[in-house]
Amino acid sequence: MSVEQNTDLIPLGVHGVLIDRKTDTQIVILRDQINAHVLPLWVGKTEGDSIRLALDDGVTARPTSHDLLTSLLTHLGVTISHVVVTEVQNNTYYAAIHLSANGLERTIDARPSDAIALALRVKRPMYVMQDVLNKRNGDGEEAWLTRFDQKEFDEPDA
Amino acid sequence: MLTQMNIRGLLFDPYSNAYIVVLRDERNSDMLPIWVGKSEASAISFALENVTPPRPMTHDLIKSILDNVDAKILSAVVSDLKNNTYYAKIHLWYGDSEYAVDSRPSDAIALALRAEAPIFTTEEVLHKQNSEELERWLENLTPEDFGKFET
Repeated sequence: MSVEQNTDLIPLGVHGVLIDRKTDTQIVILRDQINAHVLPLWVGKTEGDSIRLALDDGVTARPTSHDLLTSLLTHLGVTISHVVVTEVQNNTYYAAIHLSANGLERTIDARPSDAIALALRVKRPMYVMQDVLNKRNGDGEEAWLTRFDQKEFDEPDA
Repeated sequence: MLTQMNIRGLLFDPYSNAYIVVLRDERNSDMLPIWVGKSEASAISFALENVTPPRPMTHDLIKSILDNVDAKILSAVVSDLKNNTYYAKIHLWYGDSEYAVDSRPSDAIALALRAEAPIFTTEEVLHKQNSEELERWLENLTPEDFGKFET
């Protein structure tokens, strides 16, 4: 079954990256096109900065760790097909990076933050398993997210 | 000409709020202090202390991808110093070719430690660094400043 035919995989994009000023963490908001599914993921500052940089097509003077990973893959001719947020256990989200090297497909375990930072750089799709969206106890989070105004969505502090 | 460097320690510089990886050559005649960010410093300290985090950090992921496609990290080379910025290259073996990929020294060191690959720098970089002030500063450090990261 191809990725496109797999109805358990919901395609999501990065809607924005929020700053949680209280905890020095950042929140990546994944959302589908019709806004039927929203998945907020808490990530570290470095990962959040890296995702925001990729969203803005920003370039830094020296490569970030995710730029390095992208560059390594390009040099070696390894291609990313897609990334998937696969699971949530005890509030920890798991992701998988699907890549192909010399015609062989491989799946690599990753944190969602790294998987997203990479997918944005190589412009490959990201998905979340329907089961992750079902499992998530989202009521509290969504109420919490509505307290952010649009300005904070668009222009978080660097 | 390349000189092999070992990691002497990882320091916190409260003035710049940054971390410093101190590289030292085997004869202990040259030191190379490299300022790195917080997350790169923690990636290096995890590798120095053989700590495996519950979830793979970014450099663990890079190592895991390279292992999965049978690419081998040969070495990390701190290759240049321009305008106070250090440049590095990661040398890899993949298929039947060698590759050299541009990197920040912090990423190159974090990966080399995970791959148990050697770290080198060039004579030119060692000469270029205007180190008098730094050496004075480093001489004034007590062993305690190196803390648990001392190797």
